[in-house]
Amino acid sequence: MSAADVLTVVGATASVTEEFGCLTVDVPAADWLAAASALRDDQRATYTYFDWLSAYDDLDAGVAVVVRLWSPSKRRGVLLRTRVPHDDGVLPTLTGLWPGANWHERETLEMFGVRFEGHPNPIPLLLPDGFDAHPLRKDFMLASRVAKPWPGAKEPGESDRDLEPSAAPRRRRARPPGVPDPGSWGPAS
Amino acid sequence: MNAESAGLPHRSRGVIALVEDNCTSCMLCARECPDWCIYIDSHPETEPPAAPGGRPRTVHVLDRFAIDYALCMYCGICIEACPFDALHWSPEFSYAEPGIAELIQERDRLGAWVATVPPAEADGNLDRRGAAR
Repeated sequence: MSAADVLTVVGATASVTEEFGCLTVDVPAADWLAAASALRDDQRATYTYFDWLSAYDDLDAGVAVVVRLWSPSKRRGVLLRTRVPHDDGVLPTLTGLWPGANWHERETLEMFGVRFEGHPNPIPLLLPDGFDAHPLRKDFMLASRVAKPWPGAKEPGESDRDLEPSAAPRRRRARPPGVPDPGSWGPAS
Repeated sequence: MNAESAGLPHRSRGVIALVEDNCTSCMLCARECPDWCIYIDSHPETEPPAAPGGRPRTVHVLDRFAIDYALCMYCGICIEACPFDALHWSPEFSYAEPGIAELIQERDRLGAWVATVPPAEADGNLDRRGAAR
């Protein structure tokens, strides 16, 4: 199915790109359900099989929600993608089209904070009760990275005792990427 | 059971072997490791000049090299990062332990895996340590 054919199915508000041999259809959040429904039911598309749904934190562009659909009869797949804001991002649920989207949307809710309106059971899937954060967002700090000393802090020729406060100070130490400066995060800050 | 009797492809990612002689304690693998599961201690020593009239050299001597297989996710980035081919994949997988602390393999155990590293396919004229046959 060519990019132009997909556009005739999902409507002119979409944009289609082909990356690594896979068609990716971007739609506005308002068209999410209609586009998924069209890809499933249109005789030219026949993407009737729900493969998976997840999201990724696209920083300033918001949270990108992606669903992969598959056409068993034509043996080809498509990615349908939309973007919602970090704060209170809402999409209509796909569980009405594919009941199997249930757990995927629960996981996307807890991991990224995207709400799925009309979801029959929007409770956490994997996270423990009372976990009050969205751990797959890029601003989520891994507490273990603050609690555990970085093994790469040593320079060649150094051992653990060179890192102790009593050791002779040396030039600025290498810091692990993505970890805050000591004392700027957590109980010690 | 080992990798061969299990019928595994010889390039399977089973365990990481350490060729200690190649390690310069440069810390690159420990810094690239996304899991923070490589622990290296070393100290500097001064070697006498190789030739009369030369200058003494400072070398880093390895004191500890350990991989915590309770944390390792087998991404192989340490092997890619190593500039001196001190780390190699071995297909052996049989090293379960009753306690989680025993999954930290120190350099003696990591070195013992070297004998199970398959030869590099692209370089049929090299042995598994990279020396000419």
